[in-house]
Amino acid sequence: MRVMRACMRLDLDFVCVYTAEDAESGHVRLARELGGDTSLYKIISYLDANELFSVADAAEATAVHPGYGFFAEDFRFARRVVRRDRPMVYIGPSWWVIRDLGDKINTKRIARSLNVPTVPGSDRPVYNEVEAEEIASSLFEFQTSQGIVDGVIMVKASAGGGGMGIEEVGNFDEFRSVFRRIRNYAKRNFGDEGVLIEQRIFDFNHLEVQVVSERSGTKHVHFGTRNCSIQSTGKQKRVEIAPGFAPGVIPYTFDATKVIEEITEHSMSMARESGYDNVGTWEWIVTPKGEPFLMEVNTRIQVENGVSSIISRINGEPVDILSEQLRLALGGKLEYSQEDILFTGVGIEYRIVAENTDKRFTPCAGRITKLDWQKHEWLNVYTQVPLDCEYEIPMEYDPNLALAIVWGRDLAEVKVRGAQFLDELILEGTSGGKSENFYTNIRYLKEKTGNILEF
Amino acid sequence: MDAERRIQNLNDRLKYIRDIFGQKENDNIRLLAAKLSEVVAREHDLPGGVLAEELARLEDLFDFSERKLDLSLSPMDLVRIVRHPQRICLKDILENVYDNYTEIGGRGEFNIDPSMLIARAIFTRRVGEKVINQMVMVIGQEKGHGESYRNGGSVKPWGNAKALHYMKVAETENIPVHTFVFTPGAYPIEDWPGAAQQIARNLYELAALRAPVISVFSEGGSGGAEAVGLGDRRIMLSHGYYSVISPEGAAAIEGGLRGGTRATPELIEKCATQLCITAEDNLRNGYIDKILQEPPLGARPNHYDFFRELRRELIQATNEAVSEVKSMKLYRAMAVRARKSDDAESIFMRWTLSKSALKRLVDLRQRKYRAMSRHARLDGTGVMKRAVAATKETISAVHSYFRYDLLGRQKKRLDVIFEELGAEAHLVRHKLLMPLKRTIDKILPGNNGVEEKKGDAVRDKLTRLSCPEDGACLVGSEWAWTSPRSQQDRTVSCPNVRTHHCPDLWVPDLFGDFAGVCPSCGHHFPMEYRWYLENVFDYKESKEFNSQIESINPLGYEQFDLKLDKAKEKTGLKSACITFETAIDGVDTTVAVLCAPFRGGSVGAAEGEKFIRAAERAGRKRQPFIAYVHGTAGIRIQEGVNGVIQMPRCTIAVRRYIDAGGLYLVLYDTNSYAGPVASFLGCSPYQFAVQSSNIGFAGPGVITETTGIAVAPDYHSAYHALSRGHIHGIWDRREAKKNLHQALLTMGGRNLYYR
Repeated sequence: MRVMRACMRLDLDFVCVYTAEDAESGHVRLARELGGDTSLYKIISYLDANELFSVADAAEATAVHPGYGFFAEDFRFARRVVRRDRPMVYIGPSWWVIRDLGDKINTKRIARSLNVPTVPGSDRPVYNEVEAEEIASSLFEFQTSQGIVDGVIMVKASAGGGGMGIEEVGNFDEFRSVFRRIRNYAKRNFGDEGVLIEQRIFDFNHLEVQVVSERSGTKHVHFGTRNCSIQSTGKQKRVEIAPGFAPGVIPYTFDATKVIEEITEHSMSMARESGYDNVGTWEWIVTPKGEPFLMEVNTRIQVENGVSSIISRINGEPVDILSEQLRLALGGKLEYSQEDILFTGVGIEYRIVAENTDKRFTPCAGRITKLDWQKHEWLNVYTQVPLDCEYEIPMEYDPNLALAIVWGRDLAEVKVRGAQFLDELILEGTSGGKSENFYTNIRYLKEKTGNILEF
Repeated sequence: MDAERRIQNLNDRLKYIRDIFGQKENDNIRLLAAKLSEVVAREHDLPGGVLAEELARLEDLFDFSERKLDLSLSPMDLVRIVRHPQRICLKDILENVYDNYTEIGGRGEFNIDPSMLIARAIFTRRVGEKVINQMVMVIGQEKGHGESYRNGGSVKPWGNAKALHYMKVAETENIPVHTFVFTPGAYPIEDWPGAAQQIARNLYELAALRAPVISVFSEGGSGGAEAVGLGDRRIMLSHGYYSVISPEGAAAIEGGLRGGTRATPELIEKCATQLCITAEDNLRNGYIDKILQEPPLGARPNHYDFFRELRRELIQATNEAVSEVKSMKLYRAMAVRARKSDDAESIFMRWTLSKSALKRLVDLRQRKYRAMSRHARLDGTGVMKRAVAATKETISAVHSYFRYDLLGRQKKRLDVIFEELGAEAHLVRHKLLMPLKRTIDKILPGNNGVEEKKGDAVRDKLTRLSCPEDGACLVGSEWAWTSPRSQQDRTVSCPNVRTHHCPDLWVPDLFGDFAGVCPSCGHHFPMEYRWYLENVFDYKESKEFNSQIESINPLGYEQFDLKLDKAKEKTGLKSACITFETAIDGVDTTVAVLCAPFRGGSVGAAEGEKFIRAAERAGRKRQPFIAYVHGTAGIRIQEGVNGVIQMPRCTIAVRRYIDAGGLYLVLYDTNSYAGPVASFLGCSPYQFAVQSSNIGFAGPGVITETTGIAVAPDYHSAYHALSRGHIHGIWDRREAKKNLHQALLTMGGRNLYYR
């Protein structure tokens, strides 16, 4: 939706694809409204690249925006876009950048080669048991020397993901058996028996740095930091706040200003060194002691870019990072520098999801009968739920209902406004499928609003 | 009564002649027929004496005509002779040549494989005053006289397994083996074991069987013949044939026929002529040692003179084979060599051999085959280069002798002793010093300053780049060489799309990054052999050798020169085999590649020679030897027996290499069929294949045609080969190098020095 709005803003034509399950949702209606029926193409699956390219050819598209999901992090897709017989512009970083930074392990290696701090542990898949034990023992030793009493290390399959093939080890004696177990598991399930060994970090804050760069890959600016520590059990972000810390208001045990400076500085230098050439996010974890570790780089625009946009002003003008991405990807220049970007106030982004927060955030099926909210000038709400009719939550995709961005002059104000919005929000639905009641995470969001940005 | 029988006899002879010459009419035959019917018509009118006279004249005429016709036999007529139900079979030979025998493992139909006949037989002779019995093991295909359960002498894999077993028995009992080759080819089924697998095992065993082996060829059809035909002496019956493929098969391939259509008789005739299958041809090329003359138009069970001749020849040949390696031969050897064949019966020579004599026997056999088929290839290396190569070879042989055999063995022994001593000393020291160390630790608790510094070092180790020289970017399979196909902008569908729902693949991804492997189901698309050379074997860094050995057209096969030139031009190679020395992750290895684009990767004399030289070189240099089979369609039929003979030749080379302690690894890709798989590839103890490759003896079409069995589409798949025990592992192409290195690290032979 926001891509389409940005296109309209930049006076670009667009086409939009949708599947049968999504035929009723917001982006299809918006596309019909903005571009008419000719701009809509029905496809069978969002995951079939061939189908997408045939649509692109039929529509004679000159550029492709990969969205926020699957294809946005697939360097092969990006490469295919530019390497076809009829090449198109890929709206996102160049494919080799995605390849280099899209992989966590490789990102870690690049970071280490640039002296950017990363989580202590191995920086490549370990195959050899002797080598693994050496790393594990030095990790335990290191944790003891840091004064951590119950040090825990993580052993995970390097080819794995989504929480599979990860185990924690509390002491060195158990390590060998766990290592072997994980190695066999990885061999069986992922076909590669490489294993990663890392320090387990508890109670960390999840910060992000929004980096924007022009096509040449030489000029970079950043749009501040975000704090995305409030996540569901599946590591799905639920509340994002910009900027990342509020040093003046909340007493931290470490120098928060310095940490923010440090991570932005590291992110910018890494973007410079790797020739990053579009919009991207550097994700960091900050330990309670104030040590930042680079976790990964998201080589795409993220859903939460809006919250960074809302606190940023370029020479006093409001900014939309998504429009900037389109403009820069199509060859536009960065006409401003870092000094021109000023940050005012605090933004919160809520993701309203149909899920049962008490039951490990299980998605909830059903129908939305009513959705409404009080309009404010400090509030932006994006939703795919139609406001004038009932809406069946599609089972095939994540049950995201709406995205709300609240802005306030300072932390106190934005907390009040956030609570106010959530109070005023009317969301009614009936349950369907297996779930007994209709659940949303609004109550959970309210609870979390009270202590945002605190450690 | 007597007259009637004689007439009947003549009728049978005429019918036989007609069978042999088939459709071809001939003045002689017509004349015989006319005369015979004339006599028959007048049979009752003539008085007895005149009739007998007439018949005697007619019999003379038959004898004369048969001799005359015998001179005009074409190769295809020979094929018809050996296939005729009246042709002598192994049972006839056992009855008439040997003095007594016991058939082992079978009573007609009730047999593990009625087409393979094993018997213990004896020759009983009176030499001077003494009566001597000499025992032999008789192994051979039994065609019978048209019994359907004999399967025409087409032996099933388990029949060959039986033969192998009794060869080993003969080795244990120290008696000679007489093998008789009466087969149109092996029964091409893949079972437990598969046809190719079993023939390879037989060849591998025969290559160093410690018993004299005398082979008699009557009908030698390719792989099936080789399974028992690798002998010290090879005698061929004058009306037999020995060929790479049946003339019908050659014609079907030549004519490009598929699915049951038959080739025209003219084409079959032509192919039979071109394949050089007769006894004279084979003797000229050096693939047999002797021709045994048969009666006109081929031996039949009532030709008792012929059996006597055969008996004498067998005794003579065995005597020769034995006398060559016996230490005490003297006069008897001279007598044997004098070749007064009448003497063979009267010369006594003990056929049991001592250990050293058996060793010499095997060595002699291996040399005999090594020297074959020299004329069937072209060595384009210059004279100077050849001289240099020969010198180098000698030097490296001497060097290898000193380095590995003389010094290496002693050094190894010393190393072992030192290692044992070191380990012992370590334990003793540990036991003595441990209490001391404990007390020291108690008295002096750890120094804090040192600890802190150590902590920093640990921290550095955990947060710095582990091996900076590798660079940072590891991702993406950066292949050293990618297929030119990866430049095309198109998509292909995976053949498993029905079962695995694979998405269509974009060609640049598939043939570039994915190395031709479907990422969702693991189907392996065929890749160019260059891909392996560059990405697995570091071809650029390697030392290629014998690249000048060139495939030629030794039989002057029609139009084959053109095809060969086209293949040479297309691939830029001189033969289908590339041999080079390379390092796989630091392990020096010798590699032989059979590449499919050159005439389907078929093996002829040049390929065989290159393969053998590579194996010898690997043995000399004490390197592991890897055969990478990009694809092979089998033996090159246009080279006739020059191709077939590569099966025993290469197998012997491999056997020598393995016996010397080498590590021989085979890796199959795409499709590998027939001869090579049934010999020097299939005999390797370590065979691996990539997924989606096909391994087998005959293609599905041939199996259906010859056996009538409808085969499943995945009959030859690598997984089936794995479950049959033919191959010993399935590898992913993308991990071929890693797996090879792993294999080299774990499976070294006892004389390999790379570890």
